[in-house]
Amino acid sequence: MDKAIIMKEWLKTRLVFFACLAVTLAVGGYAVIMMNRLIQLKGVEHLWLIMLLKDNSFVDVLKYLPLAVGIAVGVAQMAPEMAQKRLKLTLHLPCGHGRLVGLMLATGLVELGAVFAAQTAVIAVWDFTILPPELVGRVVLTMLPWYFAGFAGYLFVSAICLEGTRSRRVMLGLLGVAVAMACFLQPAMEAYNGMIPFMLILTVGLLSLSYGSIARFREGRQD
Amino acid sequence: MDKNNDGPVISVRNLTQRYGRGRVIYSDLSFEVPRGRILGLLGKNGTGKTTTINILMGYLRPQKGECRIFGEDITALSPATRARIALLIEGHVQYSFMTIGQIERFYSAFYPGWRREAYYELMRKLHVSPGQKISSMSCGQRSQVALGLILAQNADLLVLDDFSLGLDPGYRRLFIDYLREFAKAEDKTVFMTSHIIQDLERLIDDCIVLDYGKILTQMPVDRLLRDFGRYTFTTQAEASALASVGGVVNPGKIKDEAEVYSFSPAAEVEAALRSHGIAYGDFRRTPMSLEDAFIGLTGKY
Repeated sequence: MDKAIIMKEWLKTRLVFFACLAVTLAVGGYAVIMMNRLIQLKGVEHLWLIMLLKDNSFVDVLKYLPLAVGIAVGVAQMAPEMAQKRLKLTLHLPCGHGRLVGLMLATGLVELGAVFAAQTAVIAVWDFTILPPELVGRVVLTMLPWYFAGFAGYLFVSAICLEGTRSRRVMLGLLGVAVAMACFLQPAMEAYNGMIPFMLILTVGLLSLSYGSIARFREGRQD
Repeated sequence: MDKNNDGPVISVRNLTQRYGRGRVIYSDLSFEVPRGRILGLLGKNGTGKTTTINILMGYLRPQKGECRIFGEDITALSPATRARIALLIEGHVQYSFMTIGQIERFYSAFYPGWRREAYYELMRKLHVSPGQKISSMSCGQRSQVALGLILAQNADLLVLDDFSLGLDPGYRRLFIDYLREFAKAEDKTVFMTSHIIQDLERLIDDCIVLDYGKILTQMPVDRLLRDFGRYTFTTQAEASALASVGGVVNPGKIKDEAEVYSFSPAAEVEAALRSHGIAYGDFRRTPMSLEDAFIGLTGKY
């Protein structure tokens, strides 16, 4: 049963997943090429210097990509459920609704995790060849809030798609924009280190949004 | 019920529902669907047919009243009970991003009594391949996919919301023939709506006719067609005078030809006309289809 639900989610999202993976790897590769070019022109010492003195991670080009990936996967996965109120079919399946929604969200989150892990791997593997582990760690920690924005974007978009009322959709949208914006306020490297535990807790909390949307759908709160 | 099969499959008691806080869709609606019967919920647009199905399937919380399916409160149907109910959503909505083969594999994981052959037998008649995507199929073909899934699920109760929507006569006929054979051979209970009444005459055993806010009648179709009559006659009386005759409903008049509908026998209708001083001639009862009876009960407007 679980396998069937995961298969359904995969069928909806696989094209977007592979497209996101390709774009993410391409943009990650572009960031690596730009670093490589700088090293060839001015030497690796110069790259280190800029990283340490000017707080430049050289991965800024990837900044908004996780958020875009989160939104794309969320729309690809949840919009077909609401088209023609297909969610009724899903909710009629002989499976607990909590488990059903949990598996749907877990599928999306695992896909996002895979894309983000691939992007991190591209950057980190390359960085390890030119940077000390401490600097590689700084780059990865700098990217973590962007990934949080991606997960949060996915969870907000999922809840918005599953929501039946316009007013609630607008409210969720505004809240989502505020949460996403908060992830990009500080451009400095590792600016969000102290916030990472809070972001993890918030991500878990955001899971409840889709459960709320489903509960309201079942009560008939639809425009 | 009812795992022991000794009660109604669907039981609705004093159901009251409004559009938001506004118009009452119906008030104190009560009915039962006995096991092994095919019941059609008939009504004009906006009388609450789809709303009733949404309530029964747990997609809308009733404002008042109690609904039970197989003895379970519909606001908390267990997965085991949902497995006993096959649902057809208005417009034959299915997971159109899946192929013929994928959707069969998907649903088979949820239902222990899944009958793969029943599904593929129907698909063979459609001349579609397992790799064909549902989104690329016509509305008629999609209806057959939805029907095939229902047959394969082998549920005890089938709930079908406006199965005829978007179907041409051939596909409607195919759908009805398959469904009737399946329901009768396997002693299934069916609760359905359709906006094409003539289709249902060949299919349903019992009907509930809904009007705005109330049930007009609930009875077996053969009894309705036997007891409810259309009477035509010639008269010079105004249509408004016919409306005041007790025991008749929805009188109509074109030129001198009048028609009235009534559950009363011909002699009583004639007596009522005479008691109201209405002169008439050529009085007769004319044969009716279910659609005629529906129009007679609900009116043309």
